[in-house]
Amino acid sequence: MFTQWLVKPGAPQYLWVLAVLGDFLILGGALFFLLRMVPSRFRKTLVAIVTFGAGLIYSVEFFVPVPAGKDGNFLTNFAQKTVTDVVLVLSTFALGLGIYSLLRFHGRNLTRMRPGWHNSLALYVAFFAMLLTGFWSMMSKAPAAANTFDVLFRGTVAAPGATMFSIIAFYIVSAAYRAFRIRSAEATLMLAAAFVVMLGSVPIGEYLTSGLPVTGFWSNFRMENVNLWILKEPNMAAWRGISFGVEIGALAMALRTWLSLERGSFFEREL
Amino acid sequence: MEHANIPIAVLEAVLVFLILYKIFSARRGRQLYIRRIPGLNAIDEAIGRATEMGRPIMFSPGIRPLDLPTLQALSILRHVTKIAAKYGTRVIVPTCDSVVYTIAEEISKDAYNSEGRPEQFNPDDIRYLSDDQFAYASGCVGILTREKVASSLMFGAFFAEALILAETGHNVGAMQVAGTPSTTQIPFFITSCDYTIIGDEFYAASAYLSREPTLLGSLVGQDYAKAVLIIVVLLGIVIASIPWLNHHYPSLLTLFSKT
Repeated sequence: MFTQWLVKPGAPQYLWVLAVLGDFLILGGALFFLLRMVPSRFRKTLVAIVTFGAGLIYSVEFFVPVPAGKDGNFLTNFAQKTVTDVVLVLSTFALGLGIYSLLRFHGRNLTRMRPGWHNSLALYVAFFAMLLTGFWSMMSKAPAAANTFDVLFRGTVAAPGATMFSIIAFYIVSAAYRAFRIRSAEATLMLAAAFVVMLGSVPIGEYLTSGLPVTGFWSNFRMENVNLWILKEPNMAAWRGISFGVEIGALAMALRTWLSLERGSFFEREL
Repeated sequence: MEHANIPIAVLEAVLVFLILYKIFSARRGRQLYIRRIPGLNAIDEAIGRATEMGRPIMFSPGIRPLDLPTLQALSILRHVTKIAAKYGTRVIVPTCDSVVYTIAEEISKDAYNSEGRPEQFNPDDIRYLSDDQFAYASGCVGILTREKVASSLMFGAFFAEALILAETGHNVGAMQVAGTPSTTQIPFFITSCDYTIIGDEFYAASAYLSREPTLLGSLVGQDYAKAVLIIVVLLGIVIASIPWLNHHYPSLLTLFSKT
């Protein structure tokens, strides 16, 4: 908003970054100051009004019919774009606090030389390396800038992420071993169902019952069809039952939050 | 974006009415009964275990930004922190979102204050780890192993990292209680945790723990709403299964269609 007044189109990128940061500080500071000015007895009401107004946008947007041939109603664009942008700006304010927390915690580890301080040092080095190369690649058109950022991202962010994801395969084995131990009638039933589903999903399972006809009554007993039946009928029924409960619970919680009926659940003291 | 058709709008209005009616009747002082949920009772047991062992508790509020499951997780965090503060037990809260981090810090501070132990609050125990799913998971694994946590509580929305957290907790010998509305992660938690709160029990947690009339009323309203949904499902089955009805009253089936 103010950024476009302060910086002319075509200005260097660092000026835009500085202007946006300035915007954040000025607007955020003004908003914070105004909120502090509101007497504490009205603050609760103010928060309730803002919450209700924000929720109302989405409720009305959902219930107002969409004109024929259009993708949304008169509120869709506002709810999707403007409100989402506001939420993004608010989240960005909090991101700074999150980073501050991270650096404060690891800074203390470093200065007090707590056990594992070298991990905190690694965090600092990685943090500033990514930050500086990120800005460098954003502001410079030199291939070295983009390449350095790319190498760092692929080598130090993407690769460990993929490694963590792949570890899940091993954890699934150990979890499955415990789950499939026969301890009760339910566990036995689950073991049998899992055995059929696993067998029905691999070629050897299909091969075992390939002698049965493809159509007619006996085709129901082909392993791939039994597998499909377990997944689509009893499994889906249970899944939908759980989902109904979850969605009703979410609706109730959304109502309580929207109408500010839930305040006591989070804080004891007054705002 | 999805929009409501007329049958959905009517159904939604009925569900909202039932929930609000029960909330306001509970606020007027009507006594309501809710059944025992063992998983929620186990939270106190988990805090007690950590206190006896003199080790901390890890509370993970999931990896989603501030949405309904995370809000529910934060209300459970308040309950956990209040009891832990009473016994002088540390609660470490690793977060995956900066907004959730700021709210979790305020909730913890408030819980210690309300128990008259403000000096016990340690800001370093509420940690923002990373927005990245697996970076967060590895951070939690580090906390579970380095801090030797006695109890691990996982409430909120989880995805693929659920099993990493739960299996590591199991390996370090922590007592684990999990609650999630993420249906795909429920099997992993059931396998690896001592107690798992599934489905709508997750949203019943704050009512069960606080016994606050508004929340109890909402819980009973949810049960009525579920009864309405069951009736709608049964009606749909009957209408779809009787050919005569479909033939003579085809508009009946359109009540249950998406458009």
